[in-house]
Amino acid sequence: MSKNYNKLIKYTLFKLSVIPLSLLVISSLVFVLLRIAPGDPVDAILGSGADDIAREALRSRLGLNESLISQYFNYLEKLIHLDLGESLSNQEPVIKIIQNSLPASLELGIISIIIAILIGLPIGYLGLKNKNKKSDYISRIFGISTYAIPPFWGAMMAQLIFSVILRIFPIGGRFPIYQQSNNITGFIIFDSIFKNNFLALQGALYHIALPSITLGFLLSGIFSRSFRLNLENSYNSPYVEAAICRGIENKNILLNYALPNALLPILTISGVTLASLAGGALLIEVTFSWPGIALRLQEAITQRDYNLVQGIVIVTSFMIVSLNLLIDILIAFFDPRIEY
Amino acid sequence: MFNFKKINNLTISALCILLTLFQSSCKTNIDSKRITIASSGKIDSLDPARANTLKALQLLSSLGDTLYELDNNGKLIPKLASKMPVISKDKLKISITLKKNILFHDGTPFDAKAMKFTIDRFQRIGTNNYILDKKIKSIETPNKNTLIINLNKPTSSIEGLLTSVNLTAISPSFYKNHINKFLNNDFVGTGEYVLKSFSNEVQILDPNLNYWDAKPKNQGINFVGYSNSASLYGALKSNQIDVLLSNSIDDSQRKDLNLLSKNKKIKEGVSNPIEVSFITLRTNIEPLNKKEIRLAIAKTLNREKISKKVSYGLRDPSKSIVPQIFKGDNLVSWPEYNPKEAITIFMDEGFCNGKTLNLPLTYRSNVPTDKLIALYWKQDVKANMGDCFSININGVESTTIYKNLSEGLYTSVILDWTGSYSDPEAYLAPLLSCNKLDKDICYQGESVYSGSFWGSKKIEKLFLESKGLYGSERLKVLLNIERLASEAIPYIPIWVSSQKAWSQKNISKPVFNGAGKILMGDLEIINE
Repeated sequence: MSKNYNKLIKYTLFKLSVIPLSLLVISSLVFVLLRIAPGDPVDAILGSGADDIAREALRSRLGLNESLISQYFNYLEKLIHLDLGESLSNQEPVIKIIQNSLPASLELGIISIIIAILIGLPIGYLGLKNKNKKSDYISRIFGISTYAIPPFWGAMMAQLIFSVILRIFPIGGRFPIYQQSNNITGFIIFDSIFKNNFLALQGALYHIALPSITLGFLLSGIFSRSFRLNLENSYNSPYVEAAICRGIENKNILLNYALPNALLPILTISGVTLASLAGGALLIEVTFSWPGIALRLQEAITQRDYNLVQGIVIVTSFMIVSLNLLIDILIAFFDPRIEY
Repeated sequence: MFNFKKINNLTISALCILLTLFQSSCKTNIDSKRITIASSGKIDSLDPARANTLKALQLLSSLGDTLYELDNNGKLIPKLASKMPVISKDKLKISITLKKNILFHDGTPFDAKAMKFTIDRFQRIGTNNYILDKKIKSIETPNKNTLIINLNKPTSSIEGLLTSVNLTAISPSFYKNHINKFLNNDFVGTGEYVLKSFSNEVQILDPNLNYWDAKPKNQGINFVGYSNSASLYGALKSNQIDVLLSNSIDDSQRKDLNLLSKNKKIKEGVSNPIEVSFITLRTNIEPLNKKEIRLAIAKTLNREKISKKVSYGLRDPSKSIVPQIFKGDNLVSWPEYNPKEAITIFMDEGFCNGKTLNLPLTYRSNVPTDKLIALYWKQDVKANMGDCFSININGVESTTIYKNLSEGLYTSVILDWTGSYSDPEAYLAPLLSCNKLDKDICYQGESVYSGSFWGSKKIEKLFLESKGLYGSERLKVLLNIERLASEAIPYIPIWVSSQKAWSQKNISKPVFNGAGKILMGDLEIINE
């Protein structure tokens, strides 16, 4: 066991040492790709109406008239000092913009995954329990359909039905208009609980409900399909057969033998999904006007806000790499069969 | 095994409780006597020196005041100024007398020094400071209520410039730490509303109880941004907002909202049309360097039909690049739709009967109406022009287009323009002025940046002449400039658009000022 732990520590240290290199490659790629793309922040800010002098003046003010090499090294130097610079479009520190929008995406992502698990796992279980029966077919169709629904269409339908026609949920936004966010961590639900502000909590839950249920619903198919498959494999494994032969109760077999092994892949899927959602669920954010990181990134790309795009990509890349590493460690911790 | 029935009952009960809680949360908003206005997108900055989006300018016009503004008929009226500006004989000095006893939201007095601070700051750091174009030499403040603007050269557009929201008066004491940098998330001006809170998505405005002019008729404004047209439309239809203000809402939804207003289910307010859409023709390459070819192309564009098919008749077909409101009753007409004449010209120029003129037309892929215009024009040409003329369309993202216009990458491109200030010059100069030209080809200047590369010495002379004139004389010269352009056809005007706003039945009809800004203070709940 301790030998395995040593290997795990070595593996973790190796992965940690690779993170800066990965980030350097990513940040350099983003830097180059942004500059290759036609148009620059000056064109986005001034449109087609300004003359050459005005453009040059703004370009100079934004530091865009320096050579690319010089811009690149300035950028790297700042990055080493954890300075992501200022947004070119409004001179706000990039880190502040990320601090405001990343919690929104993470909050939505985490709650959506919880909902996906809450929907997906029971459906997967029911499918397996009634194998080759009507409910099994329904669960399989559900799994495939939710996976196949285009997110923007699903989100628009949910908005149309529940916000416009039934008027149960708000059309968009993260908190009620009349109520300002309590910014401690940026996670409104957590902040309102921490501040004991029931009204804020109520408003936050009311606003996150529809986007998170929609996203959770769309993600649940992966969980139901995967859970059903892994639970079935677990039931067919020798250790479960041995448990059945020993006369152990069905409930205990499920909870103590089959489920723990079937849940390991769910942990991996949850982690990978959360990692992908750390960069935001763009279509959901756009549809529900959710002020998350993906929406910010999209706007920043449109405005050719180099610093903001670079900052968002670096921070989300870091989160994705870190989350993947964390999942590897967790799986190694829970599953002693895995060696590194 | 699990008792699913029990779980189901529990889940349903929990959902019911949650929904009840949510509904009560929603009710708080409905009970509010504030008015919620929704618009598309977010606001990055409330700094008048930085703001350049329609939404930010709209909000600033409620939070602050300019020296002058345009009334609904396009007439210049004093706002923070007490009377019309006095211009010296040599036309190099403009004296403006300011109103007295006006306070900023922070309690400090508005005076000539504050106005000088505002203009100087805009000239120094303003993103759009090119609109002043070094026109101002210096500003004097001989006393608290007099502002003297010394000009580098005579310019008649300065009056119009003083209506620009970018020159909204700001409090020097509040902005003392932001003399050379933007203050994005706060604002202190003299307007009818005070900014209570600001986030990129939601801005809350309270009435300014010390406002020097008529107080707002409502108890405050919640200004909210949604990221897409469907959400805006849905929010109004489901009563989640009181007023929808958007120029970027899809035309099919505009049509539906227009229908609802005709059936008196909502109210529709329309501004003066000030946004011009047009096609730029690159005149420095063959065969578009021939005026006759440009004329023939212009005659293939059926504006009326495009307006009906694309905008459901909600945008006015326009044969001018200057909105009518700035021209009074004077008309300058650009070439009309006439496919028969177009064919004749094409034949005279050696096209038709096996030789087709193929026009590459670029449209902004992120502007839905541009694509529809391009598609419709292409089909119409295909149906009516035989083998004389055809159009190849290509969508490119707008920022890329703006970057490449001056590089001459687009043979023809669909664009739009709203003047930075309320004056015909703000439409003509950005499209027609040229600093360096040879015959009809412009090598340096604004017509290069608009992608037409067309220039005229006569027009440059007239621009110069207009700077020393005022009133109807000046307008006459500016109309002459447009007339010359309409004969050369470097552009093909398509339509002119208005700002629109829709309000719920229990809210008064939205009204706009002459510059296309909604008068928020006039909105009131009328059916409580």
